Amino acid sequence: MSSPLKINFDKGTLILQNVPEALESQLPDLRWDERTLTFRAPAYRYRKIVSQLRAHAIPYQDTARQFTIEPFTHQKAISPYPYQTEAIDAWHANGKRGVVSLPTGAGKTFIAILLIADTQRPTLVHVPTIDLMHQWHTVLTEHFGQEIGLYGGGQHELRDITVTTYQSAVMHAPHYGNRFGFAIFDECHHLPGEQYQYAAISSIAPFRLGLTATPERVDGKESRLYALVGECCYEARVQELSGKTLSEYRVVTIAVEMEDTERVQYEAARQTYLGFLKQSRINMGTPRGWHTFLWKASQTDEGRAAFKAYLTQKQLSFASTTKQEWVWKLIQRHSGDRILIFTQDNDTAYQLGTRFFLPVLTHQTKLKERNAFLDGFRDGTYSILVTSKVLNEGVDVPEANVAIIVSGSGSVREHVQRLGRILRKREGKQAVLYELVSKQTSEHFVNRRRRQHHAYQTL
Amino acid sequence: MLTKDLLQYKIQKGQIYPQFVNPADNQLLAIAEQLITVFEASPDTPRATLLESSKQIIDSTPGAPIVKRGLEKLLLDRTEFDTAPNEELIAFRHKLFTETSRLLSEKQFQDYADYQREVSRIMADESSTEETELSAKLYADLPSCQPVLTFNTLSAERLLHRYNAAQVQGLLLHCNTLMLKLADSMTAELRQLFKYLRFNQLLSTIRKEGELYEITVDGPLNLFYKTKRYGMNLANFFVAVLHQPKWELAAEIQFRNKQRYLLSLDESCGIKPVSQQFLAYIPEDIQLFQTMLQNKTNDWQIRPGSQFLPLTGDFYCFPDYQLVHKSGVETAIELFHPWHQGHLIARLNTLAEHPDVSLILGVSKELEKNPLIAEALETSTYFAQFGFTFRDVPTMRSLLPILNSLV
Repeated sequence: MSSPLKINFDKGTLILQNVPEALESQLPDLRWDERTLTFRAPAYRYRKIVSQLRAHAIPYQDTARQFTIEPFTHQKAISPYPYQTEAIDAWHANGKRGVVSLPTGAGKTFIAILLIADTQRPTLVHVPTIDLMHQWHTVLTEHFGQEIGLYGGGQHELRDITVTTYQSAVMHAPHYGNRFGFAIFDECHHLPGEQYQYAAISSIAPFRLGLTATPERVDGKESRLYALVGECCYEARVQELSGKTLSEYRVVTIAVEMEDTERVQYEAARQTYLGFLKQSRINMGTPRGWHTFLWKASQTDEGRAAFKAYLTQKQLSFASTTKQEWVWKLIQRHSGDRILIFTQDNDTAYQLGTRFFLPVLTHQTKLKERNAFLDGFRDGTYSILVTSKVLNEGVDVPEANVAIIVSGSGSVREHVQRLGRILRKREGKQAVLYELVSKQTSEHFVNRRRRQHHAYQTL
Repeated sequence: MLTKDLLQYKIQKGQIYPQFVNPADNQLLAIAEQLITVFEASPDTPRATLLESSKQIIDSTPGAPIVKRGLEKLLLDRTEFDTAPNEELIAFRHKLFTETSRLLSEKQFQDYADYQREVSRIMADESSTEETELSAKLYADLPSCQPVLTFNTLSAERLLHRYNAAQVQGLLLHCNTLMLKLADSMTAELRQLFKYLRFNQLLSTIRKEGELYEITVDGPLNLFYKTKRYGMNLANFFVAVLHQPKWELAAEIQFRNKQRYLLSLDESCGIKPVSQQFLAYIPEDIQLFQTMLQNKTNDWQIRPGSQFLPLTGDFYCFPDYQLVHKSGVETAIELFHPWHQGHLIARLNTLAEHPDVSLILGVSKELEKNPLIAEALETSTYFAQFGFTFRDVPTMRSLLPILNSLV
């Protein structure tokens, strides 16, 4: 009698032994590994391989799977909105896989909590930032009333429900990728990144959920996301929920004139920068443009001057004196409101924080103070928070009702996510997002392009 | 390690050539010396001040700035900054922001200067902070203000060799597979190379080509993807290659899914070893093993594994230890720890078919927790005869009966 087929987990892959020859070509991504003299497959193929074996009624010995059914129970009575129920049903109908796309503030975490209880499998939640990791940890602890693991940012504790960062998962999934049956990918538009995808590839979790407000990527790699997590099974747009489960909102764009001296400096710097591009025949419109510029700029004194000029003109359009004056006016106008001020870079954030004596939250803020700032903002101890990018995604600050965008990257995703920070519904809340845009600068044209997104179309 | 913007390379006909500096270049040695001096004097200096000092050297000395900034980066990698939270400042900020939040919520200020004065007045009352000090003090614990704790110094010549090694490592970050050719030299360095390989979670295939051993080094997922997932592991592994007396390296470098280029290097590149671990010393585990063995018997001598052992076909393994009996009988031991279990089952299968290979297998008890491995060990007649398990280090009680059965 021949030995049974065996499946084992090895460093983010599956090792298969005693594979019947007739089956070799039918199991997805199965390859012969000369290094170990075994068959091997990527770990994420676990579900398909096991399904195939079952379909062919082939007995197998599974030592890869190191998880069992876990009866997670809610500690709080919860009732989902109809659209959340629809999303949950759609995910189940899609074979317990897939991406749910909802605007920020629409309760994606809530859907995840319901699905963790539904699937009853040890769950690993992947998030892009440390702040989000702690936020998920708090929410999951409250809901399930049990120890929740943290893996990332110096924490190495695995529990039946664990929250990790993508970065940490890429490093450690080869070790624990067989311990979770359910993988949740928050802000899952990050997942198709060159390295981050290995967090999903190295895991055997058969059940997978992706959560995002914006699955589309400029590089078109959302197809990779769907291959690793499952197709987009539910989507609702911001206009559909505005005024119902999200706050009503308006976007106000303020075109800001630079001071004369700054305008002169800006024009001079821009001329130097553009002159170098022309002379070096660099087309910034091509995908390689930026890298070519960086490379050529590092080679000569002239190049370095051009790079410095690039930074100067960017800095002036991002944080001109007039923009700072506008920030002050808006702070005064919204006295008593809860205001988030967003900048493109840390320098501008600290410049504003120092000038107006405001708390600044960046990736440089130490964990304890980060939490103190966020808690202080939520409970009203601090009414204003300045940040560069760390609050762009996911972090829940429902009390915020005013956002001031002093500067940004120009990407649609970033602005939609920043808008999302102030959309969490509160009784009588009217959210307003101000964009400060320097007149006659590249920022002005970027803003015009950005406004073509559907989030701006109702305005 | 160097970031991509600090790498210097040329591309020609599909080949990529790292641009090495001459470690004997007096001008460059002098610049390196100046930079090292600044870093050596840096303890207690804030990061921004240190960087300002090194920038002055970079700007005022001849030569390519990209090289000098690369040297600066390598020195920064050897510098430890005080990153501990400043509790006093954190408390100060909390007090200040609570006050400013209250002020801004309760009061309208027509003029920003009025607000500034009001804040300064309150804080002067609260914490005796002068008006002018407020802004300067507010975020005085940002990274640019963090003082240097320690700097791990090195000679100027060593820094230049380190720079050349970093040029190669910077490219290897962008590769998926590395091919090595090594001579079968009886050296401890070769053993260390394989130890490094295992610690970096890499897999290898060893074949013999003429007088040289050809070793393909990559990771488990390379079977499916041209992934740079193991780029960092391969870059770290490269320092072990530099300790080999004769080597050839070939790697395919690919930046951001663009065209692939071939990196070919050998020992003639002249980069001196940059790590200390490989100096000729007897590793602690060997010393311990030797003492344990001598306490039990004088019949066997142990030494570090230092040569390839032929297995099946053109495959080889590289054992951890070699043992020689006074009668001349020789054997070898290969140990399997939790971090390199990948080959174990393959090794058991191979040895089952070729029991003439004299190789003792030591397997960590941790690995027995894996049911597949536990079963493989239990059912292997080869392991029953020539294998043992261990907790932390192999014990003589497990090993000696096997050794004695060989003579």
